[in-house]
Amino acid sequence: MTPIAGGAALNLAFGFSILTVISLIFYTRSGDQRLFWVGQRLSLAISFFVFMATFILSYQLMISNFDIDYVARYTSLETPTMYKISALWAGQSGSLLFWLFILSIFATTTVIQNQNKHHRLMPWVIITLAVIQMFFLVLTNFVTNPFMPTDADFVVANGNGLNPLLQNVTMAIHPPTLYLGYVGFSVPFAFAFSALMNKDTSSLWIQSIRRWTLVAWLFLSMGIILGGWWAYQELGWGGYWAWDPVENASFMPWLTATAFVHSIIIQEKKDMLRVWNMVLIILTFTLCIFGTFLTRSGVMSSVHSFTASSLGPIFLTFVFIIMIVSFGLMYLRKDDLRSPRKMESFTSRESGFLFNNMVFVVMCFAVFWGTLFPVFSEAVRGTKITVGPPFFNQINIPIGLILLALTGIGPLLAWRKTSKESLIRNFTFPILSGLVGAAIFLFLGYKGYVVISLSLCVFVTATIFTEFARGIKARTNKFNESIFVALWRMVSKNRSRYGGYIVHLGIVLMFVGFTGHAFDKEKEFSLTVGESDHVAGYQFELIKMSEAERANHYAWISELRVTDHSGQFITNLRPEKRVYFHKNPDVNRRQPHSELDIYSTMNKDIYSIFSAVDNENGIAFIKIMVNPLVRWVWIGGYILVFGTMIAMWPRKDS
Amino acid sequence: MEFIRDYGLILIFFILPLIFVIQPLFLQKIEEKDETLDRGTLKRKKIILYRQIKELEMEFDIGNINEDDFQATRTELKQEVSAVIAQLNSK
Repeated sequence: MTPIAGGAALNLAFGFSILTVISLIFYTRSGDQRLFWVGQRLSLAISFFVFMATFILSYQLMISNFDIDYVARYTSLETPTMYKISALWAGQSGSLLFWLFILSIFATTTVIQNQNKHHRLMPWVIITLAVIQMFFLVLTNFVTNPFMPTDADFVVANGNGLNPLLQNVTMAIHPPTLYLGYVGFSVPFAFAFSALMNKDTSSLWIQSIRRWTLVAWLFLSMGIILGGWWAYQELGWGGYWAWDPVENASFMPWLTATAFVHSIIIQEKKDMLRVWNMVLIILTFTLCIFGTFLTRSGVMSSVHSFTASSLGPIFLTFVFIIMIVSFGLMYLRKDDLRSPRKMESFTSRESGFLFNNMVFVVMCFAVFWGTLFPVFSEAVRGTKITVGPPFFNQINIPIGLILLALTGIGPLLAWRKTSKESLIRNFTFPILSGLVGAAIFLFLGYKGYVVISLSLCVFVTATIFTEFARGIKARTNKFNESIFVALWRMVSKNRSRYGGYIVHLGIVLMFVGFTGHAFDKEKEFSLTVGESDHVAGYQFELIKMSEAERANHYAWISELRVTDHSGQFITNLRPEKRVYFHKNPDVNRRQPHSELDIYSTMNKDIYSIFSAVDNENGIAFIKIMVNPLVRWVWIGGYILVFGTMIAMWPRKDS
Repeated sequence: MEFIRDYGLILIFFILPLIFVIQPLFLQKIEEKDETLDRGTLKRKKIILYRQIKELEMEFDIGNINEDDFQATRTELKQEVSAVIAQLNSK
């Protein structure tokens, strides 16, 4: 099928989205069930046309139909097949279509899953999802259409090809994962909005979206971790997080979503925090749209600024509409949102959760302020003042450590009120563990935040083990089960609780990795074959330098022999200096790129970058970084994913 | 040929979903279901309440809740379950 069918499918989807909203609004007025069914089916039809458009664009990318501008811009004949597919989300119009595609999968799943459930909530859920789809359909139909023909009066023989930074397996997975997270929050938002419209703000809507929220949170977390992994493997500055505006754009909804994941537990169990939960889900969804705006508008300079565009005002208008309508509706429903119960004690799990929520929101605000400060400063004073990592680290490291401490404190508090005896009984072992840890770390010569962070990691780990031990003990006493049977049954009967603790353990391990950053070492040097230099007790000898021409780039390869201080062989590293599009006659369009090589262990990473090459004199310019404990960040990430999957795994009775 | 093929496909892809979408309009008019009387909703509510009782017992067993609170909340939840079961039985 040709691009005409793709464009037509998008037109039809737009038309059907308008009809969906109209039919369901008529249904809410008339109560005629037939109109509800029509609305449901219209919603499925929108998704059908969006799927069609997406498959057509993917097919055009695969067959390199350079008559389509998007295909010519982001692929070339040499682009490997995998990256031809990932080019779908490499450019602006394609990525917006991809957003819409994921939203349509979620909308279809929601409609089918709730066909015979939530008769009151579903009409407004479908309307909300259709309005979000409509917004993206306006963009893909009228502002940045992915099926626009190439603007040239000659046959385009070959396309521009994909940015080399995006030609990485992680980068092929990272954006879809992040989008699944961003888009996933549309569903909980739609349920929240519907609850407000129906004046039903009890815990019913919360129960409907708990698993959706966890799924979206999981994907957002995975997307952020994969983004860090990609930056570490590909960008060549030795780190995984730079407080880049686009990184921050994904981190902000993650913070509010994490607060939401915690506070819905309170509404589910105690019917408290109704207003707070509404605020959090509205903020999370708005920040997801805002994140897409930051990524796609080009308003901030970023390593992710693969595109700059005029989409900004449209996105901002949508963000403001969402906030005004949602918060306006909340104001109108303020009486219904009043919770029947109140907090009874400061030392209760409820107040622990609320305090942790507040800290998440404060951190989100700090990140928001730092991210947008250049824009605000330019608007107010006419000069763009960039806020760099030192600002974010100064503010967020202490906040992060408070959150880490609360991760340990919260689970040890009892519901309603914790008695003095319980406080002493529950906190003694974890606090003692933390203090012993602190003494050991001080003895080893560590200082400041490093000691605080590592001691808190010990404290939180002790609380997690205490919680597991108390649960197992209770079951072994009550049911006379063996330890392993008790552990298995305890986790399978309380998945969200113990899955959550496993997630906390993952976060602890990630903090161990973050703390290792304090001990990073780096050095730049130049070598000819046979020469060597040393960094952090390791010797680096250039044993070989070679060249290779590959399908889509030309590479200079340096081979470094790494030995430790005693001369013991550690590994050989082969970082490369590449030039992509090397056959392009236009020299300005050739793109240099450093392909790293990393030797990774549990203890530290040896990170090598081939920065530049002097061909005439056979000199390789090398940068080496020795980064301790980085692997723990990724291990923590795996454990976080594992814990979340346990928490959201369906129970037999559901 | 290509033009006819494309537009022919679009027409088919437009007409089929259109028939699917408007088909309910040819059914007899049905009034809105009352959510409060929905048996499925009541069953879900019952499951959630039972789950809450189990979780409460677990919290009590591991010492996260005192005896008085445990008894009061348990009685409250049991009354709610009884009310839901009564509603289910009345159908």
